[in-house]
Amino acid sequence: MSTAFGPYIREKREALKKQDKRFSLRKVAQRVGIEPSYLSKVERGLPAPLSEEKIRAISVDLGENADLLLALSGKVSADVQEIIRKRPELFTEIIRQMEDLPDNAVLRLVREVRDGKW
Amino acid sequence: MIELKNDHLVFSFPEIHPEASLEIEFQRTLRIPDDGEDYPLPPGLGNFSIRHVDDHAGCLPQTWLERGGVMLPMYQSEAMWINFSSRQIPGHGAQYPFAVKIAAGKINAVTGAPWTDALRADPQDYLVVPDQPWLDGYCVEKGFIRQFVAMPLGDGYSPEAQITGSEETGGLQVSVYPMKRKAFEKRYPKIDEREYPQMMQETLMFSIQSCESPMALGMGGRMRQKIYEDEFDFSDWDRDTSSRCFVHLANSNTWRAITGKTPPTLPPTAKDYSRRGLPWFEYYSENRAVSGSGVLEGLDSVNTLGKKKRKKPLPENDSANPEKIVKILKKKTPYQVREW
Repeated sequence: MSTAFGPYIREKREALKKQDKRFSLRKVAQRVGIEPSYLSKVERGLPAPLSEEKIRAISVDLGENADLLLALSGKVSADVQEIIRKRPELFTEIIRQMEDLPDNAVLRLVREVRDGKW
Repeated sequence: MIELKNDHLVFSFPEIHPEASLEIEFQRTLRIPDDGEDYPLPPGLGNFSIRHVDDHAGCLPQTWLERGGVMLPMYQSEAMWINFSSRQIPGHGAQYPFAVKIAAGKINAVTGAPWTDALRADPQDYLVVPDQPWLDGYCVEKGFIRQFVAMPLGDGYSPEAQITGSEETGGLQVSVYPMKRKAFEKRYPKIDEREYPQMMQETLMFSIQSCESPMALGMGGRMRQKIYEDEFDFSDWDRDTSSRCFVHLANSNTWRAITGKTPPTLPPTAKDYSRRGLPWFEYYSENRAVSGSGVLEGLDSVNTLGKKKRKKPLPENDSANPEKIVKILKKKTPYQVREW
């Protein structure tokens, strides 16, 4: 587990807890389905692996982007892995080419609905 | 930029504001009776599936490919409504505003005028989202619309046929204009959101040949729905920036031939729905409504035109008695659908 993940979710959870007590460590752990002591270890960046499913559950609970949390934890989501496995040469090359592109240029690569003549 | 995500059309304008994003979905619903009565808003019964036309190029008419866009399946005489959702912008306590033009058969659904790409202020020919949470049909009178009802293109029931004398376009056309960023930031300055936690909360008081069977949208029964006046300045809209999309309507019975997927069955009738005590909806907002279009008010509904043609275009049209009405106060939450 990457060390960036734990402090990041702790910061987000603590910020939410200031407005809503339901975001205490114990209650978040309960909703996500892990022991509070385990979540505490995760938040402190100690060795405590979490499955993709649990990371997704945390992202939903904290209202964070699941892909971002997976990346912070050193994981790539299973569906993205599957996409790359289908055409590994093409997609790894595309990702390498896009490494230094600004966000707005990357966004242009998404599939757009094509407009025509009407 | 328009993307198709989970059967939603997502209009994004990252060049204007990173969060300027509007989602549009097309909701299945029951057809309200076209019996001279005014009805409340019917429910949302799930969204229509949407596909890129380019994904089925091999079995679509050339005109569809030339127009581009997306397609969705509708049964003959099935109704629909359009749901708009704009994202809440963090730190501003507001949803990003958009001006949205909607036409069917290239006839503007608010004014009855032929399609133009430009926005027009007088008469207002667009909706303002998020003030306008949804659109169920053609605006025929102040505070009243006639429901969008699918009829075969070429049968002459749509406003397109009645106004232009021909019916060759059909489908739905959507064009979206974002508010200028400066105007947005001036109207919705940064706030400390902890002071406004409830700001946007709303209250609930309670075969391939068949590919050549496109649909048009006729005018069904009357419904109480306001088209809200634009309360912003017309100059707030970025009229140099817009995205537009042609939404083709495929006959449901041929959708399977095109996509290999079976569309859902027809919704219940309005009469059966009401008899089971299921809810209808009313939306309350103090915003002013635009005057109805004299052009559209003077047109015949599908049922009236059917009588003139001595045909029965609607398979059933029994009156309904909506008893359970859920009142929704301004404003609906983003992505909220009329459901129970």
